[in-house]
Amino acid sequence: MPIILENVSFSYSRKTPLETPALRNINLRIEKGEFVGILGEKGAGKSTLTKLFNGLLKPETGKILVDGLDPSSKEVKRKIGMVFQQAADQLFCKTVYQEIAFGPLNFGCSKRETEERVYEAIEAVSLDLTVLTRDPFSLSGGEMQRVAIASALALRPDYLVLDEPITGLDPAGKKEILEALKKIKEKGTAVITVTHNLKGFFPLLETIVLIKEGKIAFQGSRESYLEKGCIPLPPIASMIKELRARGLPVNPATFTVEDALEEILKLKSAFEKENNRN
Amino acid sequence: MIRLEKVSYSYPDGTPALKNINLDIKKGEFVGVIGKNGSGKSTLALLLSGLLRPQTGRVMVRGMDTCDPSKLKGIRKFVGIVFQNPETQFVGRTVEEDLAFGPENLCLPPVEIRKCVDMALAETELEKYRHRSPKTLSGGQRQCVALAGVLAMRPECLIFDEVSSMLDPESGMAVLETIKKLHKKGKTIVYITHNLEELHDADRILVMEKGRIRLDGDPESVFSDTFLQSLGLALPSLTELAEKLRMHGVTIPWEKTSSPQNFAEEICRLFLKT
Repeated sequence: MPIILENVSFSYSRKTPLETPALRNINLRIEKGEFVGILGEKGAGKSTLTKLFNGLLKPETGKILVDGLDPSSKEVKRKIGMVFQQAADQLFCKTVYQEIAFGPLNFGCSKRETEERVYEAIEAVSLDLTVLTRDPFSLSGGEMQRVAIASALALRPDYLVLDEPITGLDPAGKKEILEALKKIKEKGTAVITVTHNLKGFFPLLETIVLIKEGKIAFQGSRESYLEKGCIPLPPIASMIKELRARGLPVNPATFTVEDALEEILKLKSAFEKENNRN
Repeated sequence: MIRLEKVSYSYPDGTPALKNINLDIKKGEFVGVIGKNGSGKSTLALLLSGLLRPQTGRVMVRGMDTCDPSKLKGIRKFVGIVFQNPETQFVGRTVEEDLAFGPENLCLPPVEIRKCVDMALAETELEKYRHRSPKTLSGGQRQCVALAGVLAMRPECLIFDEVSSMLDPESGMAVLETIKKLHKKGKTIVYITHNLEELHDADRILVMEKGRIRLDGDPESVFSDTFLQSLGLALPSLTELAEKLRMHGVTIPWEKTSSPQNFAEEICRLFLKT
């Protein structure tokens, strides 16, 4: 069962002079187990969109169904794990253990089951068990972000929704989060992330949703995103696209520096072979 | 322009943030500052702007000592600073009011204040939001308001502390473009960032580590310094690719790594049969 949005519109400060439309006529379908990137410029409506999934915001018009259920139902709160942009905003317990156990305990899990889930979640984000007794605010930015993700995972959600999970982290912290998300996706949880960091995320994304001024400008696979020539593109993909446009035979699905290196070295050896022949 | 002489600074708990820094920022320079979290970048920004005073050594802003309280107003007029999180610097109910706050505090006459505000709105292309509350704007737009708020005071030197780290690349680029335009008009810029990609066109880059300036040079020499990589700072993808290609005997000149288009052009020049 998927997340389905039909003709959804949303405005902030509705029926006041400050009314600001954020989303207009959104039709969207997100399948279970997908890795989805929600892209778009500042103010496009990306974060607003994610807040509609689990009923944090209610659509003005249109219909949203999460596995056939209304987003405001309690069941959906369990199905969708949310991680906000600033991890520190959603941490409030004295220890990391309490933090991750908070969700399951609130949903009525027994102490034993909660403990099991805490360990499962901490493992999923590759954090060391010694952090469990630490104060979440004594951790690094990347670790805090992983605790926030673990807290969401402790509810064993079907969908993990994240808003800019690697923004503001240093390169090592970014890598840790990207690896954790890749692992979580491989275990079957859908990962839906709002991101501007195409360089980091592009190799992981299966589906891309591009929002422009409150409307969906593109929705489909990463490959068709490339084919249609959508922007933004990460620098490597963009360079590869330029090479193809100039008639060089390179693999369009080249997103990392290593892959690009391989493609260019292939060009080089083909060129040299040709030269030797002449 | 701004000079640091043997400057050290420790946090109240005794942790040293900057150790014995000597630095001379020249008029009209675009200086990029890069380093990991906790390397002392933000402390440097606060010292340059006179918001923090050095515990040892001296910071001179156009001949004015930042430790001299009587020079404070002059320093404020001369140096402006924009922070990572724009929210920390909003004071007004509307964008316009927010922008007027700085010039009002400089005791300018109302006509002059209006001029400053209009100019700052135009330079950041925020005219249509002038009556909105900064709180109703998106992250990138808010960052522009913060920048405009500083521009309204007409400073000659602008310091940016990771202003793009919370923005999408397009708006980050747009903010950076605005900053580059200000640089072309003669403003001195100190631009602190995590993202080396943004510093390709800087006049000069400082690399900080553990409270010291470890590298100081033009982008080409700094980017290719192995020390930078040992710090775990991510090179821009295209620079990294050029670096790896070099090890395989393919040389891409520095200027060609500035954009995917230029890079592709060079690859075609090398390997496309004509």
